[in-house]
Amino acid sequence: MKKDATVLEENGEEAKKQASKFSIAYLSERLDDFFGQVDTFTRFTLRFFKEAFMPPYEVNEFLKQCYLVGNKSLPLVGLTALIMGLVFTMQSRPTLTKFGAQSWLPAMVAIAMIREISPVITALICAGKVGSGIGAELASMRVTEQIDAMEVSGNRPFKYLVVTRVMAITLMVPLLAIFSDSISLLGSFIGVNLQGDTTAKLFLSHIFEKLDFIDVFPAIIKTFFFGFAIGIISCYKGYNSNSGTEGVGRAANTSVVQASLTIFIIDMLAVQVANFFT
Amino acid sequence: MKSNTGSKVRLGIFVTLGLGLFVAGVFYIGQKQRLFTSTFALKFLCGNVSGLQAGNNVRFSGINIGTVRSVRIVTDSTVQVEIIVDKATKKFIKKDAQASIGSEGLMGDKVVNINPGNPNQPEINADDFILCEGGNSIDEIMGQIKVVATNTAQITGDLAGIMDNIHQGRGTVGKLLMDTVFANNLDQTVVNVKKGAGGFKENMDAVQHSFLLKGYFNKKKKEQERSQKKAEENSKK
Repeated sequence: MKKDATVLEENGEEAKKQASKFSIAYLSERLDDFFGQVDTFTRFTLRFFKEAFMPPYEVNEFLKQCYLVGNKSLPLVGLTALIMGLVFTMQSRPTLTKFGAQSWLPAMVAIAMIREISPVITALICAGKVGSGIGAELASMRVTEQIDAMEVSGNRPFKYLVVTRVMAITLMVPLLAIFSDSISLLGSFIGVNLQGDTTAKLFLSHIFEKLDFIDVFPAIIKTFFFGFAIGIISCYKGYNSNSGTEGVGRAANTSVVQASLTIFIIDMLAVQVANFFT
Repeated sequence: MKSNTGSKVRLGIFVTLGLGLFVAGVFYIGQKQRLFTSTFALKFLCGNVSGLQAGNNVRFSGINIGTVRSVRIVTDSTVQVEIIVDKATKKFIKKDAQASIGSEGLMGDKVVNINPGNPNQPEINADDFILCEGGNSIDEIMGQIKVVATNTAQITGDLAGIMDNIHQGRGTVGKLLMDTVFANNLDQTVVNVKKGAGGFKENMDAVQHSFLLKGYFNKKKKEQERSQKKAEENSKK
C-alpha cells in the first residue's frame, strides 16, 4: 500500500516536470540559455581572432597539432576515400552503361568526389576523430583545473590550447581533402578496371577533360571553413566545459554533433555561393 | 627531441605532398584550358549557337586544339563566338576556314569544329573572323526525326487499310484468303489438275508401248544401263 503511494507520488512529479517543460517560464529560460551560449561563443571566436594575430606565436605546439590532425588522420581519411571512390564507381557503372555513357564514368566520379563527397566526408571524419578528441582533452583539462593553473602561472592557455588547435585544423582539413580527392580517384581507377580495361593515361585524360577550376577551388575553399568550424566548436565546448567528469563526455559528444551539423550548413551555403559565380 | 624532429619531418612530407598534388591538379586543368600553351584567338558570327558555352572544346580534324573563350550576342540575330586555339595549328587554318557547331553525341557537350579551308589560301591571322557553317543542330535532327515519324505513321495507316481490305475479302489477296467460294473453286481446280495429270500419265505409258516409239525408249534404256556400268567399274577401280 505504501509502495503504491510512492509510485503515485513519483508519477505526479513526472507529470509536473512534463507540464513545466511547456510553460512560458521554461521556454524563456531555454531562450535565455540559447542566446547566452551565442554570446559566449561569439566572444570566444572574436578572442580567437584577436589572439591568433598577436605575438608571441606558439609555433611548436601549432606544428605538433598539425602533425596530430594531419598525419594521424591521413590513414583513416585515405582508406575511406579509397573505398568511396571504388564503391561510387561500381554503383554508377550500371546506370551509365544503360545510357551507353560508360566513358563518362571517370569524369562523373571525379567531379562528384572533388566537388562534394571528398570535402564533406573528410570534414565529417575530422569532426568525429579530431573534434571529439579536442573537446574531451580540453574538457578534462578544465575539470582537473589544469587550464586554471596555466592562467595563474601566466602561460596564456587560450593561445596555447585553442589558437594552435583551431589553426592546425583549419589548415590541415584542406590538405586532407586534397589527399582524399587523389586517393578517391585511385579507388575509382581500380573500380573502372575491375570490369573493364582502361589505362591510367586515358583515365586521367577523361577526368581533366571535364574538370574545371570552378570544380576544384570552391571545394578546397570550403574545407577551410569546415576545418575552422570543427576547431572552434570543439575548442569552445571543451574550454567552457563544467559539471565535472560528466562534462568531459558531454563536451566530446556535443563537439561532434554540432561540428557535423555546422559542416552541412556551411556546405549548403558554399553551394549557393559557388553557383552564384558559375 | 628525436621523435619531435621525426614528427616535424613527417608533417613536412605530408604538407609538401598535399600541396604538390594540388599544384599538379591545377597545372593539368590549366593545361587543358590552354593557360600554359601559346594560343591565338579567332572569331566567328553565327545565327544560332545551339547552346554552345565558354569552355567547350574546339576541334580540328577531330583533335581538341582549343576552347571557346566567350559567346555573346552582338545583334538581335547574330551571336559572336570567340575561340582560343593552339598556336601550333595556325599554319593549317587558312583564310577561308569555316567553323561549325557540332555535338559530342546526342547527350554530349557542344563543340566547335574547324574546317581548315583551301590549302592554296594564305594562313589565318590572330583575331581574324572565319565563316560559320550551318551545322546539324539537335533541332534540325529532331525535325528530320519528325518527318520520318510522319512518314511512318502514313505507312502504318496505309498498311491498316490494306489489312482491312484483305479482311473484307476485297482484292485478289483478300479473295484468296477470305472468299470461301473462291477457295472452293480453287480446290476443285486442284482436283481437276490431279485428274488431268493421271490421264496424261496413262497416255504416256501407252506411247512408250507403241511400236512407233518403242525403239527410241529401248535405246534410251540401254544408254542408261551402259553409263551405270561405267560408273560401277570406276568405283571398283
